[in-house]
Amino acid sequence: MLLQVLVQLTAVVTLMLAVSTVVLIGRYRLRDTRLEWRDRVRATAPITIVLALVLLFNGVARDWVPDVSLMIGWHVTELIYDVEQYVILWLQSQATPELTAYFSFIYIYGYVFLLVFPLVAYFALSNTRPLRELLTAYTLNYVLGLCCYALVVAYGPRNIMPDLVQPLLYDTYPQYQHLTRQVNRNTNVFPSLHTSLSATVAFLAYRTRRIYPTWAVLATIFALSIGISTMYLGIHWVIDVLAGVGLAAVSVALSGHLVGRFSISAWLENHVPSSDRIGTTDRPRDAPERTTESTVSSEDE
Amino acid sequence: MSGPPSTEPSDGSVDSLESETSRRTMLATTGLAVATSGCLRHVRSAVNRDGLEPLSVTITTLPSDGDRESIRLTRRVRDALEAVGIDASIELLASDEFLRAVLVNHDFDLYVGWYPEATEPAFLYEALHSTYADEPGWQNPFGFTDLAFDDLLEMQRRTDGDERRDAVAETLEAFVTHQPFVPICAPEEYRLVRSDRANDWRRFHPGTPLGYLDLGAGGGEIERLRAVHTDPRPSWNLNPLSVEYRNRGLFTGLLYDPLAVTPAAGTVDDEGDPPLADGGKADARYHPWLAESWEWAENEDGGTLTVELRDDCRFHDGEPVTPADVEFTYRFLVDTTLGGDGVSTPSPRHRGHVAPVVVDEIDADGARIELPIAGGEPAAERALAVPILPEHVWRERSASTDVTGVQVADGTTDAVVLDNVPAIGSGPFEFVDRNEREYVTFQRYDDHFTLRNDVDLPGPTVEEFRVRIDPRSTSAIEIVSNGDADVTTDPLESYVVDETVALAAETEGVELLESPARTFYHVGFNFRKAPFGNPHFRRIVARLLDEAWLVDDVFDGHARPLTVPVTEEWTPDALAWDGDDPAAPFLGSDGEIDDVAARDAFESAGFSYDADGRLRVRR
Repeated sequence: MLLQVLVQLTAVVTLMLAVSTVVLIGRYRLRDTRLEWRDRVRATAPITIVLALVLLFNGVARDWVPDVSLMIGWHVTELIYDVEQYVILWLQSQATPELTAYFSFIYIYGYVFLLVFPLVAYFALSNTRPLRELLTAYTLNYVLGLCCYALVVAYGPRNIMPDLVQPLLYDTYPQYQHLTRQVNRNTNVFPSLHTSLSATVAFLAYRTRRIYPTWAVLATIFALSIGISTMYLGIHWVIDVLAGVGLAAVSVALSGHLVGRFSISAWLENHVPSSDRIGTTDRPRDAPERTTESTVSSEDE
Repeated sequence: MSGPPSTEPSDGSVDSLESETSRRTMLATTGLAVATSGCLRHVRSAVNRDGLEPLSVTITTLPSDGDRESIRLTRRVRDALEAVGIDASIELLASDEFLRAVLVNHDFDLYVGWYPEATEPAFLYEALHSTYADEPGWQNPFGFTDLAFDDLLEMQRRTDGDERRDAVAETLEAFVTHQPFVPICAPEEYRLVRSDRANDWRRFHPGTPLGYLDLGAGGGEIERLRAVHTDPRPSWNLNPLSVEYRNRGLFTGLLYDPLAVTPAAGTVDDEGDPPLADGGKADARYHPWLAESWEWAENEDGGTLTVELRDDCRFHDGEPVTPADVEFTYRFLVDTTLGGDGVSTPSPRHRGHVAPVVVDEIDADGARIELPIAGGEPAAERALAVPILPEHVWRERSASTDVTGVQVADGTTDAVVLDNVPAIGSGPFEFVDRNEREYVTFQRYDDHFTLRNDVDLPGPTVEEFRVRIDPRSTSAIEIVSNGDADVTTDPLESYVVDETVALAAETEGVELLESPARTFYHVGFNFRKAPFGNPHFRRIVARLLDEAWLVDDVFDGHARPLTVPVTEEWTPDALAWDGDDPAAPFLGSDGEIDDVAARDAFESAGFSYDADGRLRVRR
């Protein structure tokens, strides 16, 4: 059943990616990408490797973080419940079959699309900085999110109010449970990683709005929908979503500071005199002024 | 008084002090200002008095992913308490953490949950006997202690036949007076099965190991049995002594053989318990299993069970099952340290079963085992229903568990904390493989005695038994109705029962089994904390819960409201449900509490309310 869901997910997201690549990226950028992809891959390789390691670690840690958090974590479900039970109830009282279908679609398919598309879109830019910022921000989201999960034990609304909060997603589409179960534990609700990763994409899309104006608008709509969907579907509390936005803001800000600060190629240049310069747009580590690079330069326009 | 001398001269007037807000902070100045010791004594006696405080309690339970009905009941209990001026909050704990907090650490005020196995009133002994008030496990988690009640429990254990029936009735009368916990209801058990793959589902209760034996014997071509289980814990842990990871020990029951089994009917339509052919008396509750037979001889202390083991039985690793293993099992369950640590650590499960066995006098030297029993025949036979453990595997587990750098509580043995994977028993199925949160696989143990030609007992007919973990009833139902699994081993959550009835009616090859309840939901009090030791308090709380309404509201009617925690067969007529609880009638109607009556009840029991309408107690 998991396989079936995965195949379906891959098919739908691939279709969405294909359409949006053609419409939003445009063939000139794709043509350049075909010529320059080697350099771009090289420039983004280090952070890609870091992200891959973090994801691998995350995959392993998922199995023991709940054990750690149950020993040291702070149980906050009741606290949150007291404060905001009515918000979630109100949100759920708005439920219609159409809205449920929309938010379920957004929660599963929209989310994956939102995370994957900017990888493609930023890879199609000659300047690799947005891509590196995105990968760094993803990495930070996972690392910081995992720390929060270890420290805070909380159950989502559907676990304390199963009768009032319809577990809309899993009852309407039980097959999705197999998918989300692979990536989530039911005590990992604070913060909402769905929200934080989506908001990260939206924040970065805003930064690159001059290059991809339509995407900036689309990403914002998607991110908002995903944030709302997590509450509407009874998976997260409002506070989880707010914390998710906060985590996204921190991750994006940090990645803006970190990207370009550590350059492997510059290090190689200094330590291995005979090596050829490896293609990168990074400046050497001791570059005096970096701040001008923080937003995307106009060469892509 | 050693406070710093005040620089400002005080006016020395007691009246002016009384107008101050905090008495204690003024003590330093008072000490200087009020010179005479008589006044000081007056102040001390005023200051050192503690008042009553508004009662605030925490109700511990499982989240919806662990047990949907528990959290729903808990919210109703909380509403009821809040309605009468008790501040109540809910603490959600994962299944294993919940059981550890309640049963091992006794760290709770109130809990809502279900008792795992309550088909015979004998369980009341371990549940409520004061000897067990401090032991971890299902034995007396409440900390209830009452000498007169102990006498009744012992009487029940000593007697047999009508005498025992009277003793049980008397115990239950005392139970409703004390309300050591409030029984709510016994949920009906529903499971979706593929009747096209095997048609013997109705013979034995699918909540018991026997339910998975002899499948396909009456038709159907089942070779691999595929189950869907909603609880992930069997994929983590297969330790028959672990109280946190077992519900009622269905899978460990297939891995480990007891000496005797109690067959239970698979569906509610069947009258009485199903027969087991081999050697059992027609009306016996217990039937020989790993024991070939036993004899009961009464004497002045109780009696002696002389048990004959079946010949040539072996554990899954090839070692023979010997009388020494049986003796070891009883010793081990009574004290898992085997006397090594100086601190006795009884098994948190099966405690009541082994309680009447006088372990120091077991004679297992010959081919037979003599078990001296301090109790009557029913208690003696119940002692035969514990899993027989291989001594060569478990002896070394009597050691204290060792976690580097951490102080572990005294007497915490490996036996109670190990996950025991792979499990080595002598049962009809042996462990093959598992993947945490995904599946557990068992295979038929070909050398099991039930497969011998001269033994006429239900045996493992399927080659493989694969249990797939799937966390929700809705998807478990989908998997069975699609034909990808044969049975939902956990009972279905009650909110999906009605739609599953319809689904089973229109889907070919699928049947919805309704099996008799074996568990009950209840609200447990922690007597170790005030005011739960006060019987008036518990009795009024019992009257705040409208069982019939809760059954409709939370269980969609698929449960039997309870007055006492036993089956209908054992319920005395005077305590039978008559539309309301005859012993603790609801203070209100249709789930709506009559606030005034409830508060009056508390006040006439000696409790009081503060100006804000909060119940006050001394803690």
